Amino acid sequence: MSAVPLVYCSVLALTVVACVTASSDSRVVETVPDRASFEPVSDLLDHRCGTLDCHGVSYRNLRIYGREGLRFAPDARPSSRTEAPFGTTVAEYDATYQSLVSLEPEAMSAVVSEGGASPERLTFVRKARGVEEHKGLGIWKEGDPEDICVTSWLRGRTDVALCKQALER
Amino acid sequence: MRSLAIVLVPLALAAALGACDPVHSDSVDALGGEAPGVRKGPLHRPGQPCLRCHDGDFGDPPEFSVAGTIFESQTELRPAVGATVHLTMHDGRTFDATTNEAGNFYLTPSELTPTYPMKVEVQARGARTSVKMSTTVGRYGACAECHSDPAGPTSAGHVFIPADGRTP
Repeated sequence: MSAVPLVYCSVLALTVVACVTASSDSRVVETVPDRASFEPVSDLLDHRCGTLDCHGVSYRNLRIYGREGLRFAPDARPSSRTEAPFGTTVAEYDATYQSLVSLEPEAMSAVVSEGGASPERLTFVRKARGVEEHKGLGIWKEGDPEDICVTSWLRGRTDVALCKQALER
Repeated sequence: MRSLAIVLVPLALAAALGACDPVHSDSVDALGGEAPGVRKGPLHRPGQPCLRCHDGDFGDPPEFSVAGTIFESQTELRPAVGATVHLTMHDGRTFDATTNEAGNFYLTPSELTPTYPMKVEVQARGARTSVKMSTTVGRYGACAECHSDPAGPTSAGHVFIPADGRTP
C-alpha cells in the first residue's frame, strides 16, 4: 500500500477519534483566590500598576480598572476622590479580579490550591518583582509590603492593613 | 561614488522602513494639521501628545523625553504660562521645567532621561503651593497620552492648574 493513502487514513482516523472523545461539556474548574477580600489588593494594583499608560488600558491581558486609571462606566472619569460616585466601583473591582484570575488559570489554581505556595509561578508576581522582563520594570521587591499584600491574598488571608500601608508608599 | 551609495542606500532604506508603520502613521494623522497661524515649534499643538511625533525615530522631529501642556482651567484651554512642572524620578532625581506662552514644556533626553515611575507636581506662576498628581507616571513621558480631551473612562482630561494654584 502506498504511503499517501496510509497517511490520509491515519489523519482521518485521528480526527474522528478527537471529535468523538472531546466533550462539548468539558470545563476547566479553576481554583481562584477569594473575591471578597480582593478590594484592598485591587486598590494597590490600581495605584501602582493601573495608570493609563500601563495596565489601565483595555487592550492588555492584565487590565486594571479603578478610580485612578481606567474606568468601567462610560460616564466615569479617573479621579483622586475616593467617595462615591468617584471611587472605584464594584463593577471595576469585579473586572480587575476577572482579568487577574484569568491570566494563567492553571498556574493560579496550583498556587491557590497549595495555600499560596510559590507565588512566583504566576507571571504577574514575577513581573511585579522585576525578575521577569517587564516594560514597567520591577514595581516592588519580594517581601515588600506590596508583595506581601498580593501574596497574602493568594494565601487566602489578605493583610488589609499592609495593603493600606503599601498604598501610602 | 560607490562609498556614497554604501552609506546612502541603507539610510534611505531605514527611512522607508521607519515610515512604514501604519499604526503609528494613523495615530499621527489623527492629531490633525497645524493650527492656522502657528508654525511648527515650541508653541504648536498645545494639549497634544508630544512624544507621538517627537519619539526619536529616523526622520521625525527632535526627540523629547518628557513633554506636555498645562492649562489654567478644566473647561477652557487657556495656557498656564510660566507654570513650573516639578518632576521626581524613581531614583530620586528631580527636575523642574517651565511652561512657555502656549503652556507647553518639553525636555530632551540630554536634559532628562527619566526613571519611572515618576511623580509630578505643578505650580502656577507666582503661587506658593503646588498641586501633586495623585498617581505616578508609569512609563511614558507624554502628558497628553493619558490627559487627553474629552475626559472619559480612559482619559483624565487635559492637565490644568488654576492661576491661584489651588487644588483643582
